[in-house]
Amino acid sequence: MKPMLIVLLAAAGALAEDDRFTRELDDAARVASVMVDGDFCRNIVTARAMDYMFRDDLRDRFLGGDNYEVNYDAFDSVKKTLIRVSRLVSFPADANLWMPIPGHPDKIRVVIRNANELSQFWPWGALFQNMIPEMKTVLETGRRVTVAQKPGWVSVLAPVSDSLGDIVAVVEVASQRQLDPHENVK
Amino acid sequence: MRRALLLWCAAACAPAAELQVQPEYLRTAPDGEIVAADRAASGHARPSALAGARLGYVSLQVIAKLSAPGEYSLEFTPPSGLEVDIFREWYHALERQKTYYPDALAPVRMPYRSRLPEPDNRIADQKAQAFWVDVWIPGNAHPGDYPLQFRLASAEGSAQVTVPIRVLAATVPDRDVVAIDHNSYGSSWIGDLFERERRRIGKDFYRSDAFFQLIHAYHRIFYEHRGVFHQLGYGHAGKVGPEFAPALEGSGRGKHVANWDLFDRHYGPLFDGTAFARTRRGARPVPFAYLPINPEWPASYLWWGQPGYEAEFVNVVSEMDRHFRDKNWTSTRLELFFNHKKRYMGFPWDGDEVRFPGDNRYFREYRRLLRKAVPADSPVKFVFRADVSWDMERQSKDLAGVVNMWICGGGILSWYPEVARAMTQRGDTVWFYSGPPGVTQVSAKITEFPLQAWLWGIDGYVHWLTVSAGPDPWFHFDGGGTALVYSGERFGIEEPIPSIRLKIQRNAVQDLALLDGMKSRRPAAELRAEAARRFNGSRPQDWWNPRPPLADRPPSEWSNGAIDQATAQTRKMLAKTGAGSWENVHEFVMQLAEEMK
Repeated sequence: MKPMLIVLLAAAGALAEDDRFTRELDDAARVASVMVDGDFCRNIVTARAMDYMFRDDLRDRFLGGDNYEVNYDAFDSVKKTLIRVSRLVSFPADANLWMPIPGHPDKIRVVIRNANELSQFWPWGALFQNMIPEMKTVLETGRRVTVAQKPGWVSVLAPVSDSLGDIVAVVEVASQRQLDPHENVK
Repeated sequence: MRRALLLWCAAACAPAAELQVQPEYLRTAPDGEIVAADRAASGHARPSALAGARLGYVSLQVIAKLSAPGEYSLEFTPPSGLEVDIFREWYHALERQKTYYPDALAPVRMPYRSRLPEPDNRIADQKAQAFWVDVWIPGNAHPGDYPLQFRLASAEGSAQVTVPIRVLAATVPDRDVVAIDHNSYGSSWIGDLFERERRRIGKDFYRSDAFFQLIHAYHRIFYEHRGVFHQLGYGHAGKVGPEFAPALEGSGRGKHVANWDLFDRHYGPLFDGTAFARTRRGARPVPFAYLPINPEWPASYLWWGQPGYEAEFVNVVSEMDRHFRDKNWTSTRLELFFNHKKRYMGFPWDGDEVRFPGDNRYFREYRRLLRKAVPADSPVKFVFRADVSWDMERQSKDLAGVVNMWICGGGILSWYPEVARAMTQRGDTVWFYSGPPGVTQVSAKITEFPLQAWLWGIDGYVHWLTVSAGPDPWFHFDGGGTALVYSGERFGIEEPIPSIRLKIQRNAVQDLALLDGMKSRRPAAELRAEAARRFNGSRPQDWWNPRPPLADRPPSEWSNGAIDQATAQTRKMLAKTGAGSWENVHEFVMQLAEEMK
């Protein structure tokens, strides 16, 4: 009887800890929706870079990456807000900015990443990728969505609106229960 | 002479069990035949003896052949006064090409007993096993001929061969005339390559002595092969591996170093040279190392452009300067280097390969911060390194006095000889970069890079990635375009093991050191011209490309296709490199060395 009780108490403790882990990420994501400025987000990547992003050239497979550029001030403004958002969490977490691509409803791109290099969705190096269904839900409904697809990972996806009230971006507040200090150091 | 030639071919004439000797540049397949890439050089005239200078290596290959499966043993009689290392050549299965090439070298002890086919290499019709032989000539060896004898024993019979090694009076200079760098990123790959060791130690592997010993072993293997090893310790968004930087605490003016433990265990033996204590080249601090500094370390990007950024940067970098002085770590050039690219979405500017000139202002700001953090009279050698390509010409002028170590894209640098000249004339360090040639290219391909650096009059060359041999280099090999060493774990060795390409490169760098040392006897231009001619019939000026019209347009308008077209001339010239190209240069160097008696 006693061992069983200990196991149950331990499980309840772990669940409570899990809840706290997810709740902190969700709290930060809620703040991100308020604090991140959608108009600034729209101005980050230059029109020229967006133009090159989907160009195909068999002789130049780096065309999109080599022509990728951003507006410094808009990038810095949003990045600093995202860093502050991540600091609301009591453990290492990142707040990443994702944006849809006009004319390509089936695609999405990460626009800003942060210092722990944590994301549940970014395949390393991609300029854009297939739309993440949960992000599509956030963009369409304006609701936050919690994703725990990869074992040990939690990402809370929060909508970002511009001054017109349109949802223009998604913030992914992400962390990993067991951090790998060496992953993505490359 | 006649006797020596007889000895060379004695094995080939034997009826069953055979011992063949091949020079370093002719690699053989599991059937004993020369691999396709090197075959055209098989008719190259062979010297009567393998000549080498003191404090240098002479290399050759010995091939044991049997006509049918069976056991064999190989033993040798080392020449007194010389040191001999023997390695079994691993035949890598190349899936795409459906063939085998030897490259990884597993150290073996003599006598070596095994069977053909070699059980672990799993090649059903293997009839031959090649061994790489390194002969080290100590500084106190007496000039003269030394016989190196090998004996093969098997049920098919026995064979023996004697190779004369000619020790010259000349000595290979200790310092290299070109630095050949071998780059890598992070250290998670060490746990992947040494999985057994990682499992044995468990969750603390990355803080264990075994882990740091492995890092030091990588530095050692490249050092012993007359090279440099770099390990970048941070990611594109600023994540720093814990062993690459001191642990920090605090924020703003209160930010400071909290703990040096992992950093010191990592770098201490490298910066004081003790990691190299038991090497033939002797203990010496590493010449170069990356610092962990990036836009997110030690200052948080949250404060970029605000007083807090400068406070955090200056506090911590000043502490680093003091720590290095206290430890007397003043020999290594410590590189402030930005590797990030904006396409990886961490920061809004390119630290690596700037293309858009607006990014150059960040370099000026970091130089200002570095000057503020480190007193001008500090004995610690902080350098500002930039890896440049697109905007190289403009950066070389705009960032003169800001950046003093330039790692240049080789293709683009090839049409800017005046840029290389200006950088070197003001005392900056200049290297160029590319990647290791795969194993299916001619064996001497790897010697092009040190020769090119020397012909260009610059300081070195970087192989951008040299430790990543792919998920299964043994039976599903990707060709080795990102690897020059392998994990020794498969052979029970908890250290990296070398490759044939690394050995060939080392011998070329050694020859260049010797050749460059002859500038006091012959004009440098004459030495360069003769080396280029012997290598592939070229002239030193053929190693540069004409300035293309695109160089006068903004780099943002260039494409990689246009750059390829603008480097066609040197590519065409280098297409003439054959397996025996370096051997021709080596013969020239040995000829000059013999004249130095």
